[in-house]
Amino acid sequence: MRGTLIFSGTSCPSLTKQICENLGMAPAEAELTQFSNGETSVRILTSVREKDVFVVQSGSPKINDTIMELLIMISACKGGSASKVTAVLPYFPYSRQSKKKSHRGAITARMLANLLGVAGVKHIVTVDLHASQMQGFFKCPVDNLHAEPLIARWIRHNVPDWKEAVVVSKNAGGTKRVTSLADALKLNFGMVTTDKRRGHNMTASMIMNHLDGIERQPVLDPISNQVRTTSTEPEKEATNAQSQDSRVVADGQGSPRPAANGTCARSASNPKPHHTRSQTTLSQSSVIDELDEEAEGDELEFNDQRAAEVIHGRLVQGHIVPDDFVSPAESVAGTEIPDEDPMVMSHASSFFAPQSHALGGSGDAEASSDEEEEILKPKVEHMITLVGDVKGRSVFIVDDMIDKPGSWIAAAETVRKRGKAEKVYCIATHGVFGGDCLEQMQACDCIDTIVVTNSYPIPEEKARKASKLVVLDLSFLLAEAIRRNHYGESMSPLFQHVLDS
Amino acid sequence: MSAEMANEIKLISGRSHPELSDKIAKRLGIEVARTISLNYSNQETSFTVGESVRDEDVFIVQSTATGDVNEGLMELLIMISACRTASARRITAVIPNFPYARQDKKDKSRAPISARLVANMLQTAGANHIVTVDLHASQIQGFFSVPVDNLYAEPSFLRYIRENFNPEDCVIVSPDAGGAKRATSIADHLNTAFALIHKERPRPNVVGRMVLVGNVEDKVAILVDDMADTCGTLVKAAAVLKENGAKSVLALVTHGILSGNAIETLNGSVLTALVVTNTVPLGDKVQRCPKLRVIDISPTVAEAIRRTHNGESVSYLFTHAPV
Repeated sequence: MRGTLIFSGTSCPSLTKQICENLGMAPAEAELTQFSNGETSVRILTSVREKDVFVVQSGSPKINDTIMELLIMISACKGGSASKVTAVLPYFPYSRQSKKKSHRGAITARMLANLLGVAGVKHIVTVDLHASQMQGFFKCPVDNLHAEPLIARWIRHNVPDWKEAVVVSKNAGGTKRVTSLADALKLNFGMVTTDKRRGHNMTASMIMNHLDGIERQPVLDPISNQVRTTSTEPEKEATNAQSQDSRVVADGQGSPRPAANGTCARSASNPKPHHTRSQTTLSQSSVIDELDEEAEGDELEFNDQRAAEVIHGRLVQGHIVPDDFVSPAESVAGTEIPDEDPMVMSHASSFFAPQSHALGGSGDAEASSDEEEEILKPKVEHMITLVGDVKGRSVFIVDDMIDKPGSWIAAAETVRKRGKAEKVYCIATHGVFGGDCLEQMQACDCIDTIVVTNSYPIPEEKARKASKLVVLDLSFLLAEAIRRNHYGESMSPLFQHVLDS
Repeated sequence: MSAEMANEIKLISGRSHPELSDKIAKRLGIEVARTISLNYSNQETSFTVGESVRDEDVFIVQSTATGDVNEGLMELLIMISACRTASARRITAVIPNFPYARQDKKDKSRAPISARLVANMLQTAGANHIVTVDLHASQIQGFFSVPVDNLYAEPSFLRYIRENFNPEDCVIVSPDAGGAKRATSIADHLNTAFALIHKERPRPNVVGRMVLVGNVEDKVAILVDDMADTCGTLVKAAAVLKENGAKSVLALVTHGILSGNAIETLNGSVLTALVVTNTVPLGDKVQRCPKLRVIDISPTVAEAIRRTHNGESVSYLFTHAPV
């Protein structure tokens, strides 16, 4: 493209290379180093005068270095008289700190938006912002692209029985994202929610446990142990066999192999979207906290019967209130989830201690509304609830990013062990995989496939070891966004699902 | 009404240099405010103020540890932003060593003026006032549209020289032409001789040939500079001074960044001592380098904070070091 330069930050050279290949150009040259004292040094090695400049930068384990590098690159290009500088951020850093979740905490995402502004950025291209309200933090235009069409396409082409599958949200906060994918594929959807109310609910879940006949050690037993002991051998074998060939790297179009079943898998021809939907989403008529009265055997039956009675299922979805939406559908004593980080942040203000550093070096990047909060409190028992029928079906657990494994594994185990789901796909746009998250998810018997995009760079070695991992390629989407931006064309087609052949 | 109500100093410390913050707090007779700083599992920084800062006069002390400059800078920005969101009346960023100060001009085509970028970032985050020590170039003050108090380590250095040497035996030496002003100022105050080393610098952090201008024979040569990074310049300059007959050579430097192999370089040099202030966290470097001496700068910074809070003049500190 004439008059365009694409620079790559150090975080994502391979993604930039793919984007440039799609556009038939080479990445612009820049020398990115660090001085010996740790300051970032940027040298732009080609003229940017009156050019349309794009700077691609994702996240990395040295996130603050990455941000500074991006800001300095933007500043250098602006100082070098570029006509316009666009930041292409497939993964927007600090996007989870987009609200004041505790007293006197910072809204870092907004600050970062302002910092990009002062550095001289005139346009932002990003993918699946954690909260789309963040677009309002910027004074410049923001194109928030969606990876959903890509993911939907992958599902249609690679999941044999996808028409019967169920899309599951692993927390109440992400429900909207999940329903969107469910709508696109015309699938049923369900939800896994962890009850945060302690006290009386603890008794409820304890009773449930008792009824389930699960041998249960005191409250300190992590669920993973419990599950490992109960998982049966044949199941394991099946998982292993499946995982051998499950690693697929998709091409630019997001479709690795147009399988034979892909053609017949037209979602438009799905005959029963509305009706089935209403079956699986239970109404608010569910009696809260009385589930412990019911024996599990009856419960399944009762569930189906009751679900069939619901007529306005679809409308209900839009009004799901996480805290009240407890249903007796399938209850699991979700219980204790292992958590390596003592994360007391969100409640910090109530019990401040002077030795704040004793909290440890890392905490859970708390996320949308309620999610992952259940894992914040170790040593407290919770109840995890599955809403929706997943028996014998494939389940897509969907969220915007995979950072910590706890909630994913809990959700996967819930749908597999309690919901009797056949296969479990964990799907997210951003595969951040903090710590040993990927290893833990790989090791989890209840997860069959992990699907992410290459918005956040995953170290090659780590990816190679994870046989369950499938990485979808975003470069085509980003390249198209860059091209359309440069020529002033509409972005809208990029948001649409293409029902391809 | 609230504007007339007396407010208090809230001293907030970043994680880069808690020792300096503690010393400043002790000097001011207050406690460092309770805060929570941590890194999430994906290394994003998170910060929460543990007590109310509403309508208070907030001072945030953050240095930048060698090798962790960006980490410290981002934390500072987040701290400022958090206090701004928490309705602080005024936020003063106390940055003893200003990061990216050396990237202050467009010396090559398309070189970024990162110091200006940092200045803009600090203001965007919500800083109302900046306190710093020995800016690499005073022009950086012009990058800000908020007030900047650039304190000097010079009074502390003058006292150190007077206490340890007979000024008449000393020659103040600038290791490069750019630092001549700083060196002549000290020489003038002490009424001593002055010399200058001219160096050719082919690339950053690489030192070429050196020529001495002035006489250092049988004198204590005191090199003066604003920062010691890899120490290549200082050590070469010391060797040149020694060759020219100096009795002994020591160096007085404000910011002891001491990156890379600086400690090893120093240990193997002819320098008898490197005197730095504690603007930069030194960690175990004092143990590793017997030649390293540290002057405490916290009285000057604490006094500047007190005077800024009370609306008194800071000028006194430009010529006097509080005891």
